[in-house]
Amino acid sequence: MLAYLNNLAVLISINAILAVTLNFVLGYAGIFSLAHAVFFGVGAYTSALVAMKLGGGFLLSTAAAMAASALISLALALPALRVRGEYFVAASLGLQMLALTVFSEWKVVTGGIGGISNIPPARFPGFEISSPAQYLVLALGCLALVMLVVALLVRSSFGRSLKAIRDDETAASAFGKNVAVIKTIAVAVSSALAAVAGSLYAFYLSFVNVESFTLDTSVYLMAMVIIGGTATLVGPVVGAVLILLLPAALSYLPGLPQTEVGSIQQIVYGLAMVLLMIFRPGGLWGFRDQSRGDR
Amino acid sequence: MSAGGAVLLETTGMSRAFGGLKAVDNVSFALREGIVTALVGPNGAGKTTLFNLITGHLDPNAGDVTWLGKSIKGVPHWKIARSGIGRTFQDLKLFDQMTVQENVQTVTERGAWLWQPGGKAGLAERRARAEHALAAVRLADRRHARAVDLAYAERKFLSVARILASGARLWLLDEPASGLDPGSYERFVTLVRDQLRHGITVCIIEHNLDIVKGISDRIAFLDQGRLLADGDPASILADPALAAIYFGERAA
Repeated sequence: MLAYLNNLAVLISINAILAVTLNFVLGYAGIFSLAHAVFFGVGAYTSALVAMKLGGGFLLSTAAAMAASALISLALALPALRVRGEYFVAASLGLQMLALTVFSEWKVVTGGIGGISNIPPARFPGFEISSPAQYLVLALGCLALVMLVVALLVRSSFGRSLKAIRDDETAASAFGKNVAVIKTIAVAVSSALAAVAGSLYAFYLSFVNVESFTLDTSVYLMAMVIIGGTATLVGPVVGAVLILLLPAALSYLPGLPQTEVGSIQQIVYGLAMVLLMIFRPGGLWGFRDQSRGDR
Repeated sequence: MSAGGAVLLETTGMSRAFGGLKAVDNVSFALREGIVTALVGPNGAGKTTLFNLITGHLDPNAGDVTWLGKSIKGVPHWKIARSGIGRTFQDLKLFDQMTVQENVQTVTERGAWLWQPGGKAGLAERRARAEHALAAVRLADRRHARAVDLAYAERKFLSVARILASGARLWLLDEPASGLDPGSYERFVTLVRDQLRHGITVCIIEHNLDIVKGISDRIAFLDQGRLLADGDPASILADPALAAIYFGERAA
């Protein structure tokens, strides 16, 4: 039971990192990306390869993963962010589809459908992370660090520029903001931080394959952010906890056949989204935040 | 009233059509330093389009704009903004979900990277500019309210605070006084007059002729995209032909 909870907590932390980084672009910059799982994947594959082929430890592998992810995000951001919102959604969906094909077909690098296995444990100078409990500490540490970076950025002049662009792009540019460059940097930062989750994931499972990086993942991450509360620091974490605990909670529900858990889960997600839109359009955490800020 | 100083901004033969409609048609006029020029004319005369052409939000089909002696045609609008041309919008376009303070703060921060240039001195200068703007429009005690939660007049003043904080040298104001109560309007005029003494230049789009009379040093009269008259307020407002156009009695 403890091992099960430990595993769940690590996965929640990894997903929370992804949700927090997605929220950075979605909530603060108003950039609607359906490709966040791609950057998770690029991070995971890059980290796995650096660890296996170059003998990189956690820090080196993660740094390489972040760089690779940021670079690939530029391929999406540079052309797509010059146009208005809807086009970016379409372009990000395109990248998600394209990346999935690359992940499953570029067998020399990604191992194809079978993926990459036997990834060595995460090494730090002087020690090695091996037990699940140690991974939990590492994952929580990474989550805290990513949240700190996002919090600092949001409060900085850069964060204000992002919010200004989100609220009114025309006015932002009329006051001298280079909208395309600011958005591109935001996407690159978000993708690089998402790669940290990918790296953790690869080391933790010592196995990666394409199934973790599908459009479904991108949509679930979107759901975490929206349910938890966009443009809040804690909201996406709350969303990640809820979305990951839901299947676990359902499987322990007495009288519910295990075979039905999947479909019940979909119904609960759908219902939760509808209820949220009606009663708490700012997300679970968002509502709180706004009432505290103003009244 | 004064004739103004040197020419800051000049348009020559500026034209822009939307489909078959000539929104701005061969307009040549100049904005002189240190005065208020009013752009007047009936609805659809092309006043806001002219603003959009000057600020680079629209590209002209023909003609040129020079700012401080250099052509700014085709320059991206954010660069034009950084060169000192600021504007307000008819629909305000405030950063609604941000606080009053953030609205003013963010226009002082133009660097696109993760940090702003200028170090501590730059930070202090930007802070002072933001504080000054908030104080000038009397919104300092509303600094933590979100822009969307402000009352109408407060929102109007926030849009003025934004242009003030931005440090723009030329203010293009799109109907800044519409809907203001007399008290707020007086405050607005005083504020603009005060800023004129501090070296700004204003071009204002205004419908209310009483307001135009009260605030402008020069009037440019537009109708159907064409510049019909450009001169001192007294003679333009006394012209019966222009009054007829303005009040809708169009001569054939």
